[in-house]
Amino acid sequence: MITLKNITKKYEPNKNNTVTAVDNINLEIEEGELVVLKGVSGSGKSTILSLIASLTKPTVGEVIVNSKRVSKLPDNFASDYRQEDVGFIFQRYNLIPTLSVRDNILLPLVPTNPDEVEARSKLDRVVEQFDIVDKKDTMVRNLSGGEQQRVAIARALINDPKIIIADEPTANLDENLSLDFIEILRGLKESGKTMVVATHDPLFFDLDMVDRVVEVRGGRIV
Amino acid sequence: MILAPEVLAILILNSIFLLFSLVAFVLSIRIFLGWDMDATTQKQYGLEKQSYLGATIIKYIFAIKLPLFLFFIFTLDKISTLLTGAMCGAGVVDATDYGAYLLILKLLNLYLFGFWLTLHYLDIKSPTLPYTKLKFEFFMVAFLFLVAEIVLEGVMFASIDIDKMVSCCGTLYSGSSTSVLGGIFSIDTTVLLILFYGNFIFMVLFYFFKQSHLFAIANLSFILISLISLIQFFGTYIYQLPTHHCPFCFLQSDYYYVGYLLYGLLFVGTFYGIRVGVVKMLGEDAKRGFSLSVWFNLAYVILVTGYVAVYFIRNGVWL
Repeated sequence: MITLKNITKKYEPNKNNTVTAVDNINLEIEEGELVVLKGVSGSGKSTILSLIASLTKPTVGEVIVNSKRVSKLPDNFASDYRQEDVGFIFQRYNLIPTLSVRDNILLPLVPTNPDEVEARSKLDRVVEQFDIVDKKDTMVRNLSGGEQQRVAIARALINDPKIIIADEPTANLDENLSLDFIEILRGLKESGKTMVVATHDPLFFDLDMVDRVVEVRGGRIV
Repeated sequence: MILAPEVLAILILNSIFLLFSLVAFVLSIRIFLGWDMDATTQKQYGLEKQSYLGATIIKYIFAIKLPLFLFFIFTLDKISTLLTGAMCGAGVVDATDYGAYLLILKLLNLYLFGFWLTLHYLDIKSPTLPYTKLKFEFFMVAFLFLVAEIVLEGVMFASIDIDKMVSCCGTLYSGSSTSVLGGIFSIDTTVLLILFYGNFIFMVLFYFFKQSHLFAIANLSFILISLISLIQFFGTYIYQLPTHHCPFCFLQSDYYYVGYLLYGLLFVGTFYGIRVGVVKMLGEDAKRGFSLSVWFNLAYVILVTGYVAVYFIRNGVWL
């Protein structure tokens, strides 16, 4: 379960140009739930995702994930938490264009230095799941947007994380590819993953698999 | 005042240390007054960030201070050529009233910084940062010693008068010397060797029986006994001269810089030994320090004993 308790996030606090990205919000997300954060650009959606993933710390308040006080974790432990528990899907995929599909997907495993058999087995599982087996050796810069999105998802899932965070995942996809992505999400939902998706794509708002749509406006939940 | 390039380098680095350690000191006071790991307030999150900054500053000061200590010893040797009567660093230490205290303070500070690093390591090992407050309290004390060292170092270099004749090591570290040092170095050699090897045997026994506190105390006494026995007894075998008692000359090239190895083994070994007691006092696992300490101290004992044995085998007599 993910709990955000009285969270405020200010950038450049105690300065003249302080930006309050998130303003005293409370949110609970149950295990296995798919929650969509809806809101315009600058409303604070991405900051909420960063707080859940412990990419940033709140100015005030606490983030608790499965009884772990992630907002209080020192940097080295926060890295472990991200490594083990969280998979990220970014709007711009954040793939390394000069690496192959295989190397991009294996990247999150590098810090754990697994043996070759284990790494290959994990790689095979995700490339089959996302239908990119024949693209394994292709450089990602030569892939289409939809294929790059699949690689990004495969990379997010290589460690089999409990939580998947997606920030505007369909912003660079056309409608057909967006629908493909939604089908992938459906599969992940069925496998029991907890998912938080920040988006302003209307395709997500009426989906039957979405448990809740939370609207964020001006850093507050409305 | 001596303003050799090496002295200037030390004084400039000291000014930088003073500036940065002052920042770390101010952060330490803030953390000491406001730290509450359970709090989720803006103040606490701010202090958590500041604790990273403070710890980074202290770590870097230590990272530079360690080689700088060796450079300081090297500098003492180097500038000894400028002082009439001095034949090694011992003459420079004796050139003012502050040299001996400065040397002791420098060593003490290295141990203190080492213990700070131990606390820091134990602290960041746990996600709840259990020793953050303690480690910054500890730094507040260590800071005072650091400032004392920096001031004393400046005063020492400022008060060296190159026209004044100083004593050489042969006079300073002999039983005939009228100083307190002279009294210490007039201890009977047999008694001293019994103390030295006895202390080491006890240390090994405490290691086997995992008596952390006794092991730490044995290491503490081992520093003192080893230094005295090195200067009074083992050093003469390194110099192969029964009248030469100097803790500096074997740092020179004539003796293949073996002093750096001897002091390195002794200080690292005893540091880890005392650390065992500190770590145990905090209720943490001290296994690694135990064996490291014994290995370093054993290497030291073998090395100094080796000089005596080799001399006897070659010459068939004791000094």
